[in-house]
Amino acid sequence: MLQKIYDWIDDRIDITPIWRDIADHEVPEHVNPAHHFSAFVYCFGGLTFFVVVIQILSGMFLTMYYVPDIENAWQSVYYLQTEVAHAQIVRGMHHWGASVVVVMLLLHTLRVFFQGAYKKPRELNWMVGVLIFFVILGLGFTGYLLPWDNKAYFATQVGLEIAEQVPFIGEALKTLLAGDATIVGAQTLTRFFAIHVFFLPGALFALLAIHFILIRRQGISGPL
Amino acid sequence: MSDEKRDISRRQFLNYTLTGVGGFMAAGLLISPVRMAIDPVLKSGEGGDFANVGLEVSEITSDPQRVDWTVDQVDGWYESEVNQTAWVYRNDDDEIVAFSPVCKHLGCFVSWEGNDDYPEEYFCPCHNGRYYKNGVNVPGTPPLQPLDVYEQEERDGMLFLGNIRPHEEA
Amino acid sequence: MHKGKGMKFVGDSRITAERTSKVPKDYSEYPGRTEAFWPNFLLKEWLAGAVFLVGFLCLVLAHPSPLEGMADPTDAAYIPLPDWYFLFLYELLKYQFASGNWIILGILVIPGIGFGALFLAPFLDNGPGRRPRHRPIAVGMMLLGLASVIWLTYTSAAPVDWEERAEQNKPIPPGESIVDESHPGFAAYETSCLSCHGGELEGGAGPALVGGNEHTKEEIMDIAVNGIGSMPADQFQGTDEELEQLADFIIETNEAAAE
Repeated sequence: MLQKIYDWIDDRIDITPIWRDIADHEVPEHVNPAHHFSAFVYCFGGLTFFVVVIQILSGMFLTMYYVPDIENAWQSVYYLQTEVAHAQIVRGMHHWGASVVVVMLLLHTLRVFFQGAYKKPRELNWMVGVLIFFVILGLGFTGYLLPWDNKAYFATQVGLEIAEQVPFIGEALKTLLAGDATIVGAQTLTRFFAIHVFFLPGALFALLAIHFILIRRQGISGPL
Repeated sequence: MSDEKRDISRRQFLNYTLTGVGGFMAAGLLISPVRMAIDPVLKSGEGGDFANVGLEVSEITSDPQRVDWTVDQVDGWYESEVNQTAWVYRNDDDEIVAFSPVCKHLGCFVSWEGNDDYPEEYFCPCHNGRYYKNGVNVPGTPPLQPLDVYEQEERDGMLFLGNIRPHEEA
Repeated sequence: MHKGKGMKFVGDSRITAERTSKVPKDYSEYPGRTEAFWPNFLLKEWLAGAVFLVGFLCLVLAHPSPLEGMADPTDAAYIPLPDWYFLFLYELLKYQFASGNWIILGILVIPGIGFGALFLAPFLDNGPGRRPRHRPIAVGMMLLGLASVIWLTYTSAAPVDWEERAEQNKPIPPGESIVDESHPGFAAYETSCLSCHGGELEGGAGPALVGGNEHTKEEIMDIAVNGIGSMPADQFQGTDEELEQLADFIIETNEAAAE
């Protein structure tokens, strides 16, 4: 049955080559933990991506209950933590995932660095990877504010004051981030929400796509 | 060609295992989020409390009159007072009936004798829907069902109204 | 595969009528023990992913995500701390050479050099050798940077009593205030004490007045008038009756909180 549906679609739009492109590539011996156990270091990149997927999924579901508004943000988080079944687990996945993704990203970066895998011809992919690192840190910084508890509020205030110290553009930068020259409040929260949920994930998807396309084009770096 | 055959069954086995492991991961990932998302569906509907609408039972006549009251509504993390309205009258059997003013056509607000051309009827201004005094829709007008009724109770001579139910006589 | 003239298409579409094989290529002629990504290697990756997921979910179940009390911008006593992966930057700004007049060094120059070097690593370390011992400078700089980040994070996090922090900043469930605002002593509390000890007696500039109260009614009355520790005298200025009501209010609120 499934085979027939697949053949029917394949007859018309020829989808086999599309997924064969993704599926058909060889995995050399030196990255295969089945042959050399130390090759598990090659897993960190894939696991980082896996945690990113967890973050996207849990984040999507969390916005069903969350409101980015200073009156209601904390109330809604408290409500979902205490009243909604399994919501504490979903928020836990997002909370711990944010830390785990940084750890995995760090391990992946160190693996690539110490193997010298960023050397010619893979300079571009290294730079894309560092940009992904920055985007992830930005997601961590903006996401920290969203529950609007004391921890979130005061950490963000400190962050914004650091931004203000930048010469020449500092005050404009702070106002741009906070939405107001003096108040860290309603407009800051909506801005951080928009950045956390739309702008940075958009950038992250684009960068991840480039990262993966470059890996497929160049192949994985050879053994040391 | 026996080698070829063995290879295919091995590949199929790998594909099945792959589906299984993938399914396990997807289930582990999605079980909590999905349970959270469908939580409102699984929460048992709480029986609404009866609220004092501020009308003495002795004041209810055979003429429908409008009563307005407020109920405390808890909507997730948001608590508010919601205005509610009913049309209350005493029917021919001397029973008190409280109609919801929400038109069964498209949810506009019906009024008793809301149009001078149709005395002794409820009238909905949106699409000229009409209901008889007993709440039954006038055939040939847009509404297809009679007006909903409130559950009602009498306590200490005051009228208390509760949940909205469909009209039973229809 | 057929190309050029004579190529067959599905109907009038641009889809070729020839089918691609669904059997993966054979990689056995490649050197070493190379295998196909799909399905051989992906299965191994997914098994690792499944084990990782189980571990991750155990972490999530064992440690519910924390939530502190709702943000209160007037809470002057709160000591802010960023998330752990920003602690090293936060700690860096405590050093003299990275604060005050040298703040630009702390917020722009040092992090800029660090992250800039990371970003441009392929061009700074452009020799041919890939093994760490072939590029001692790059590897040395990385180890130095890594060690300083770990050290900064450690010095920032070590003195913090995380459990006490979490305990102090527990959220107050909405609608479950322990303060009885109709108590005759509340008015006196509101005018004399609330600005420092908080609307829920949870503390602020002054210490919390609920939980572990060791003072008797007379002592509370004395403290309100004469002060204690860093609390100045004459905070309370009212009649003796109001003073007594105030002490009653604090004691009764403590009793209510203990229940």
